[in-house]
Amino acid sequence: MLNILILGLGQCGNRVLDAVNREAFGSGGTFAKYYSRQKFPASVKTIAVNTAINDLKGLTDTLARDRFHVPHLHGVGANRTLGKKVFEDNKEQIMSEIDKRGSFELIFLITSAAGGSGSSFAPLLVKELKKAYNAQIICIMVLPFREEGSIFMQNTAFCIRELVEERPNGILLVDNQYLKKYAGDIKSAYDKINTTVARRVLFMIEALNSEMLMVTDLGDLKTVMNGGIGIGTMGYYEATKDGTIKSAILGSFKPSGLLFPANVYDEGARAMLIIKGDKKYLDLDLITKTVEELSTEVGQVFKGVLVKKGRPKVLSLFTLNSVPELEKLYATAANAIRFEMDKREQSKKQLDDAFAHIDELEPIY
Amino acid sequence: MNGGRILVIATLFMLAYSMMATATDHIIFGQYLRVNEGIEINYDIKIEVVEVKEATVDSAKFRISSYMLPEKTYTVFKGDTPLKYETRDGISIYIEVISVQGKTVFFEVKGPDEWRVSNYYEFEPEEAETEAVTVPKLEIARTLDISSVQQGQTVKVTLKIKNDGNGTAKEINLDEPTIKGTYKEGCPATLDDIAAGATERVSYDLKIVDAEPGTYELTPTLLNYKSESGASYSSESSSSVLVIAAKAVSVPKLEIKITIESGDDVMICGERFPATIRIDNIGNATTGRVTTKSRLPDDLRVVDGEIDPVYESIKPGDYEEYEVMLIAYEPGKHIIEMDVLWADDEASTSAEFWAERSGFDKYYIYILAAIPILLLLLWLIKRRREYSF
Repeated sequence: MLNILILGLGQCGNRVLDAVNREAFGSGGTFAKYYSRQKFPASVKTIAVNTAINDLKGLTDTLARDRFHVPHLHGVGANRTLGKKVFEDNKEQIMSEIDKRGSFELIFLITSAAGGSGSSFAPLLVKELKKAYNAQIICIMVLPFREEGSIFMQNTAFCIRELVEERPNGILLVDNQYLKKYAGDIKSAYDKINTTVARRVLFMIEALNSEMLMVTDLGDLKTVMNGGIGIGTMGYYEATKDGTIKSAILGSFKPSGLLFPANVYDEGARAMLIIKGDKKYLDLDLITKTVEELSTEVGQVFKGVLVKKGRPKVLSLFTLNSVPELEKLYATAANAIRFEMDKREQSKKQLDDAFAHIDELEPIY
Repeated sequence: MNGGRILVIATLFMLAYSMMATATDHIIFGQYLRVNEGIEINYDIKIEVVEVKEATVDSAKFRISSYMLPEKTYTVFKGDTPLKYETRDGISIYIEVISVQGKTVFFEVKGPDEWRVSNYYEFEPEEAETEAVTVPKLEIARTLDISSVQQGQTVKVTLKIKNDGNGTAKEINLDEPTIKGTYKEGCPATLDDIAAGATERVSYDLKIVDAEPGTYELTPTLLNYKSESGASYSSESSSSVLVIAAKAVSVPKLEIKITIESGDDVMICGERFPATIRIDNIGNATTGRVTTKSRLPDDLRVVDGEIDPVYESIKPGDYEEYEVMLIAYEPGKHIIEMDVLWADDEASTSAEFWAERSGFDKYYIYILAAIPILLLLLWLIKRRREYSF
């Protein structure tokens, strides 16, 4: 059985992790945790790490023993510099907490790129995990709403860069800005995004750990994630009643099913398709033929077929050769940083001018 | 020579006689005096008339005193030799009763010539000098050894007679009352003399022959007796009560009692409890074979002990007691009935108690229902704690 660790860093990572834990209970609803046990498709350990204790307290479906508070008041206030220092000060405890849970072949590290704790911890933690474990490390990085503020944008920019420099096995992007279409309000959107990410992660874990009709495994995942610039995303599609397996596969490549806006056909480097459904829907010839067709456009496409009751569901995992949306994001971030710098300089100058009025003057009493 | 001696003696005798005659011939007093009157002679000798008595031989009693001599009382009888009274100086006077009449005595006092009556006086009569009068006084107390008796039985009657007087009681006649249908055996009609201070006990048997049953009052015992002087007296005891009952028939009689040892006669279903059965022979004869028979409710079981024992006999005043352990299985009122049978007779008793289900029995359904709820609650609490940070 595959030993998997899922780490949720910072508020965002914690909530996505909590959603993973909730989804692992199945369809029991809110009270499932009182009478049921989580049914992970593999040996899955989870840890929510945060400096803000209130964020940890807000989790509902993660066991208390799986919540690790890094003691630093109530968070680092989106300050990545401070966050890094806190991590360095506490990394032994963090690694010790991880080490208690054994060894792993696959580690998911879920974090927001914009926040304080998660974005500052993630690159450093990847570095430590690579030292400590011979495991594939997949980072699921959540990008912020663009209008969230300049600090979040600069955090995102620097976090992604630092993370790429640490060379995890792959980075899967989840773009809140792109996914806020899921719901009208932010809160609902967050919940929906968290649940969507959680389900796809569990889908992938199930596929990697199950006996499959057509096999894809951890090695395939590694190859896929090594493709392109090592950054990718996930797509998903659930077949309609009358739909074919081909339409389902192709549906998972559509932008509407992706977690990050990309044109897979143009930008895709490698892909992995995980198809799950009742055997009667699983036309292997059609699947093979469709995958071959996709390979000509996307590149190497691995496929795995998992027989389960129900209509076909397809999870697609991509790495990209180019990420135009990311470039836009960096441009936006740079502008925001410059704007912030100009504003600060103006403010400083204004203050200096104000102080200049009393140069060479002394108070008289 | 002898003639001379005789002459001398005669001369001396004559001389002495002449001197005495001279001294006593002089009548100092010779009159009547009444009782409680007195005379004083020569300022010294007091002669007082204390008592005058007319009898076969009349007499008078005088109280005489003089200087340095205590007064003394003398009885002088008429016609008797005159009473000689000698003073401390050795001078004598002679008192002779001449006659007595009523409370008056005529007497003469003779003595020295020069002596005269120096005073006449009256004196208060003293307390009549108690003559050693002896009076018997009998006190009688009657006791019966039993106050309640049955026909055919005997009562021992004891009379304790004490002479509290100072004289012997004589000619004592005992008059003891009689109850019809009884017989006094050994009851004396007369008693021997009882000296002063002495106590006599007389006992006799009062046999109840065919007296009718009832309560009788024995009237006081009457004693008639006389003193030594012949005076008659009588004494009586207090009355006594004697209950005569019909002759008892000796029959055994049994009484049976069941005791359930519980504070409020409420038992718990399924729990053992003791019951004590006691059979008393309250009759006056020993029973023959005694058997017991119990009647228990259907759900009442004897779990320890024999509830229907058999006894060969039970003596009068005696009892048999035994304990059994019971268990009631159903709630509600239970009645235990017991019969004891002997000879041609029998006695019955019953005891009742309530049985209630134990607290566990009452509530076990709820407890059973509560257990899973409690476990579920504990489980929920545990799970909640697992997810509380």
